[in-house]
Amino acid sequence: MVNLIVNGIRRELEAASVADVVERLGLAGRPVVAEVDGEVLVQEEWASAEVRDGMRIELVHFVGGG
Amino acid sequence: MNGEQRSGAMRSEEAGRTESAGQAADVGGSFEPGSGISEGAGDTWRIGDLEMTSRFFLGTGLFPNPFVQNEAIRVSGAEVLTFAIRRVDLESAEDDSILQHLEPGAFQYLPNTSGSRTAEEAVRIARLARASGLSDWIKVEISADERTLLPDPIETLRATEILVKEGFTVLPYTSDDPVICRRLEEAGAAAIMPGGAPIGTGLGILNPYNIGLIAEEANVPVIVDAGLGTASDAALAMELGAAAILMNTPVAKAQDPARMALAMKLAIEGGRLAYLSGRMPKKRYASASSGFQSLIVE
Repeated sequence: MVNLIVNGIRRELEAASVADVVERLGLAGRPVVAEVDGEVLVQEEWASAEVRDGMRIELVHFVGGG
Repeated sequence: MNGEQRSGAMRSEEAGRTESAGQAADVGGSFEPGSGISEGAGDTWRIGDLEMTSRFFLGTGLFPNPFVQNEAIRVSGAEVLTFAIRRVDLESAEDDSILQHLEPGAFQYLPNTSGSRTAEEAVRIARLARASGLSDWIKVEISADERTLLPDPIETLRATEILVKEGFTVLPYTSDDPVICRRLEEAGAAAIMPGGAPIGTGLGILNPYNIGLIAEEANVPVIVDAGLGTASDAALAMELGAAAILMNTPVAKAQDPARMALAMKLAIEGGRLAYLSGRMPKKRYASASSGFQSLIVE
């Protein structure tokens, strides 16, 4: 288990990589973009991006706007 | 005031001639008289590699539901749609992404940096938007405060400089100030997007003189973005020489959004054709359409 801050909220997840985090949160296959400790990661990088305690992850997507 | 009166404020007969001369330098169009005048045939324009026919960029916020939104998009003929970037709601299992409702590849996406207050925040949002793999276009939108949402021109210029260097196609939303617009163009903006009035106000074009001057001086497309309310506002923007219009609230918050989308499309086309046609000079006194020589009454 790792302790992460995902979208500003502390979470304990069974995850080794960013891909695992996305999977655990039920977002796999959705058009989501990840930022890990301020660094933007494209989807191809998620599987090899290891997560450690205290990391801050932002998961964002496109919403309606002008 | 209506559009006629407002545009009249800047158009003496002299200005009318200047306007016609300015059209030769118009980067927005390649309309050729005599090539078959129907619905602006051949009047295409371009940003980066994208050649477009539509001069209507449509926002995707505030629509009552996805069905009405899709109908408005279809009717508008828009080829470019704008979006915002926000955190995924992790508490909701539902997919609230706007993209699920749109046909993939049918549109050019223009994500914005709304919610940012500094160049650094805007750059961060832009990088996230590009990492989606869906678009390298970015609308720089940096608001100075929440009450007016007026753009911060200094932060906007800084963000534009950074994002141009990073290879983005940058479309900054900015104030209707001709000098900041020139500075943004010099910084490498692909288009300049001055506001007509504060976002979501529907007040129309508050300073037609500035919008006209910006359109006249720019060497990149000028897209009037924000503050428009109804069809005559869109027509006026186009008559002033804008290459295109970006709007969201006037369509989404109309009682019949799809019908308003069509009204805007037609107004944009009408205003564009009027601009290309070169309007008659304004005169202070009447001028009869028929002469008085053969008048029946003595």
